Amino acid sequence: MTPSIKRSNYLSPFRAGFRNEPYLIINIILTGVVILVFAYSGFFSPVKDNYPVVCIHEKLTGEPCVSCGLSHSFSLILRGRISEAYDWNVYGLRVFIFFAGQLFMRIVFSVFYIKYPRSGKYLIVYDSVVSAMFFIVSFLPFIEWIFKRFLL
Amino acid sequence: MEDFTTNTPQSSEPLPGQTPRPPAGQSLGIAALITAIVTFVLSVIPCVGIIAIVPGIIAVVLASIGLSQASRNDSPRGVLVAGLIIGVVATVIAFSQIFVAGKIGDKFEKNWGGEIENVIRDVQKNVIDELEDANVSIKIENGDEKVEINVGEGKADREKELEELEEDNTGINDTLNKKE
Repeated sequence: MTPSIKRSNYLSPFRAGFRNEPYLIINIILTGVVILVFAYSGFFSPVKDNYPVVCIHEKLTGEPCVSCGLSHSFSLILRGRISEAYDWNVYGLRVFIFFAGQLFMRIVFSVFYIKYPRSGKYLIVYDSVVSAMFFIVSFLPFIEWIFKRFLL
Repeated sequence: MEDFTTNTPQSSEPLPGQTPRPPAGQSLGIAALITAIVTFVLSVIPCVGIIAIVPGIIAVVLASIGLSQASRNDSPRGVLVAGLIIGVVATVIAFSQIFVAGKIGDKFEKNWGGEIENVIRDVQKNVIDELEDANVSIKIENGDEKVEINVGEGKADREKELEELEEDNTGINDTLNKKE
């Protein structure tokens, strides 16, 4: 028997366990997405100003929109320059805390789910409600901005 | 003839040592839900939200396919329904961003167009004012012959001349009302 087959047999119970637990798979993938967001912020430098995303609003009107400078803000927060990050975007820190909180929540809730499988349904409901509220609080200025522009 | 179907398991119960298969449409449901969540977060960011239309539609399509598979096999649909709802809401928000962008564009065009009109009016007024005070002189030379035409005196000069003419005729200056 080759070592690769041995390893696959060894891991198969875990794989089977994960296959039947969509909550854990979703948590793992979302953790990856949040890590990618942080990697993006860490990779692009606020000094070089080489961000690939350009604001259409600023290009059209010359005035910055509510989300302008968010990438700069994230990069500066990751580098520990929080006051500068606040200057770039007032809501940058709030959104950053949302992503950091989500990273923490995904890990903690996954561990809790594995340790206490009986509390699964309650945990998922609790997670959904808390995440939704956290999201609304963090992104409220952006949602307001969109709806004001949409209605006016 | 040998019946091969008797060896195949009829129930969804896995054989010993075999990993259990996930319910039908579950993988699609997970993919749909993750795409929908990411789309939702992306769609509420102004300007960037327009991009979220594409993953939003993908999430809705994945969830719909998964739901049809799940309904055929009578599998659980919680993840699929969640993915579909979040996907639809995210796509609607992303679409609303197109209208927002359109409104911003309209507003910008109106403001910009108005400014251009004002500039043109100012330029027109300046040109007319300058021409009213201008003296136009045309000189034509043909060999030894020279013709010189002087057209128009300044507005102030013309007004002065008019006043003088009226004074000569009536002796009373009551026809010209100057705006102070």
